[in-house]
Amino acid sequence: MVLKGVKVVEFAEGAAGPLAATRLADLGAAVIKIETAEGDWMRRAVPAMSQDAMSASFFHLNRGKRSLALGHRPAEAVPLLRALLAAADVFITDRDADELKRFGIGAVSDGVYADNPRLVSVHVSPLGRKGPMARQRGSELTVQAMAGYTRYLGTQEQPPLRLGADVASTGTGIFAAQAVLAALYRRNRDGRGQRVDLSLLNSLLSMKSIHLAAQSDPDVYSGPRVGGANNPPERGWKTADKPIFFAFGGSVGAEGRAGWVDFVKEAGFSRLLDDPRFDKTGRTTTGHGIRVHEVREEYEKEFARFPSEALVSLIRKHAGNVAAYMSADETMAHPQTAALGIVNEVETREGHKTRVRAFPARFSRLKPQTKGRAPDLGEQTEAIAAEAGITGPAFRKMVESGGLLPRAGDA
Amino acid sequence: MADKDQGAEGPLAGIRVLDVSIMAAGPWTGALLGMLGAEVIKVEPPAGDGTRWVMPTQKGMGTNFISMNVNKKNMTLDLKHEQGRAAALALLGTCDVFVQNFRGGVIERLKLDYESVRSVNPGLVYCSISGFGETGPLSRAGCADPIMQAFSGFARANGAPGEGVEAFRFTGFIDLSTAAVATEAILAALLNREQTGAGQKVEVSMLEAALEIQYTRIAELLGAGLVPVPRGSTSPALAPDRAYAALDRYIFLTVHNDREWGEFCAAIEHPALAADSRFLTNQSRVENREALDAAIEPILRARPAIWWLRVLQRHSVAAGLAHDFETFQHHAQILDNEMIARLDTPHWGEISVGGVPWHFSRTPCAVRAPATPGENTEEILASLSDTASADRVGRNGA
Repeated sequence: MVLKGVKVVEFAEGAAGPLAATRLADLGAAVIKIETAEGDWMRRAVPAMSQDAMSASFFHLNRGKRSLALGHRPAEAVPLLRALLAAADVFITDRDADELKRFGIGAVSDGVYADNPRLVSVHVSPLGRKGPMARQRGSELTVQAMAGYTRYLGTQEQPPLRLGADVASTGTGIFAAQAVLAALYRRNRDGRGQRVDLSLLNSLLSMKSIHLAAQSDPDVYSGPRVGGANNPPERGWKTADKPIFFAFGGSVGAEGRAGWVDFVKEAGFSRLLDDPRFDKTGRTTTGHGIRVHEVREEYEKEFARFPSEALVSLIRKHAGNVAAYMSADETMAHPQTAALGIVNEVETREGHKTRVRAFPARFSRLKPQTKGRAPDLGEQTEAIAAEAGITGPAFRKMVESGGLLPRAGDA
Repeated sequence: MADKDQGAEGPLAGIRVLDVSIMAAGPWTGALLGMLGAEVIKVEPPAGDGTRWVMPTQKGMGTNFISMNVNKKNMTLDLKHEQGRAAALALLGTCDVFVQNFRGGVIERLKLDYESVRSVNPGLVYCSISGFGETGPLSRAGCADPIMQAFSGFARANGAPGEGVEAFRFTGFIDLSTAAVATEAILAALLNREQTGAGQKVEVSMLEAALEIQYTRIAELLGAGLVPVPRGSTSPALAPDRAYAALDRYIFLTVHNDREWGEFCAAIEHPALAADSRFLTNQSRVENREALDAAIEPILRARPAIWWLRVLQRHSVAAGLAHDFETFQHHAQILDNEMIARLDTPHWGEISVGGVPWHFSRTPCAVRAPATPGENTEEILASLSDTASADRVGRNGA
């Protein structure tokens, strides 16, 4: 396994840092999750798993990790935290520099960590660690709003909407995993680690590149990239059942691909060929074409006679791009998704079987391993301390002084 | 940064990438590798990548094309002709990574599929990006961002409560998510090559990426059977966590845990709410969401958003206002953290694109303007014949 022997210490909550560490664990890394006494807030996120009291999102974001819980006086655990960092290859945190200082590990915010120059130290923040808002709190929702994402849903008149997917946090999790892998690659060249900074806001703006470019200084204010924020809600084309989205248009050259004329003929909409609002390629009247809003109803009058499945097959037959809108449970059950084998079964801490998402890519050599179980708060505190050389009376002293959280039942 | 290496480049300095992909999911993969310091050569067919004509243009060039092809050289090759294919194969002999995203079946027809290419360069990391994956009934179906938004359930989770579906009108987001996943996978394969000496094929689909970007919603679905549906501005996980109308505009806020709930109640000067048994824990606040909103809404509606922003910040509760391009392009927070890159291009003027998503202290990355189509064709072909003659010299000498 590619990251076999790589030790990751994660001191982060929510989704971004934990997702990065989970994917590193899938690639073979051993992950220690440090939590404060109140625990990762995701532990209390709704809903709980069907067969287990643990939060479903927490389980998926923390499977395969071991948990160490700090007590109410974490200053007493400083030697342990420093020992963990001295032995680690990767540190992932969402704590700011002041907080890390309070935990006695402020030096890990420096570019190269003096106590372990090989350490790759990844710092995730909501809004960036420099600038006037460096210390402000943020969340998935506030960052979606600040990055202008909420403008591309709903209407100006209605209350704002968010993206249902937690795109800021998961996007940052993916970028954080990249940062670790790239920094490890570099470390293989020169033996040295470094600090890497990421933020939720930065991730969403990086991923907004097409739209930033479109709004810079366009020749004409036209096209989906500039109009999107002001367009009506996009709900596809109604059919006899589910709505569909379809597009005829090319990916090579200026002209696009043929197929639209044959599609309308075979479907029996030949009247559209005589309507001057329809070009003869479908380019302006399907997908995000400039006339879509004007002529959507003309298509829908015809589509009302067809179930979505029939239209989807017909459009595909003529080389158009198309899909019916599905909910995620339908997506997961679809033969295509099933064929990819992207769900693995693992065990919960109580031994129940549950399904999780495998690593999101297929490799011809690498075989990521989807690990199960997610730890209770502080479940492995004693074992992790022992590996760092803190055992027996020294460990008990650290617990009794409030440095570490006693296990439930131990107190 | 104090510890920045002298003359430092990105962490992938020394890596060479051949990128024959078009549109967005493939091209942004190449762009990310380029931002990380790799040398990236984009290959375009003679007809050109379709994004050059996608509206809007800036001084005649598709802004989509400019933003998706930063940090790349550019050459024109007709892969359908034997000479073009031979040049691509010769180039692949010098490369570490190959990125392609043709529709299923096309790369086999071009004889640039993994089996054909690995014999030329067994160390190559061959990244193949598709819409629906390379096996299964839809492996040859074409795809695009809004198609995958529909197929993957992504659009089904957006909208006002009770509505059916709402696609994200910000198109391209799933493409860029796919590129992010592809880059993660390519980096894993490059590290793997250091251990084994062998390259490999890496397959990434828009479908898997769309599910990865929905990670928490899929976790709720697989773990708890909760199907993602439109919920307005709320999330299923937390409460309060939504946009509330203030006197003048909306304020977006999130309470992550019970401690923050206490802080929130103090900030809005209703400490009694913190002791209300219906709202003591996140779970009870989620279960009593309507009562919670009924208690909070009139309070927040009474004062301007900016007041709530100040007091919530003082109490360390996440809060923010909505921005748009005009309000954030000059925003100090965004500029200080280089979240947007302002590029000066030779032919298309100044243009803003996304900044790099990671800031490495020792090996800093930067966004550079893309080459113009075909700009580097001759120099790259010339370097190939140099390499070829050098090889010949080498062989003859041996």
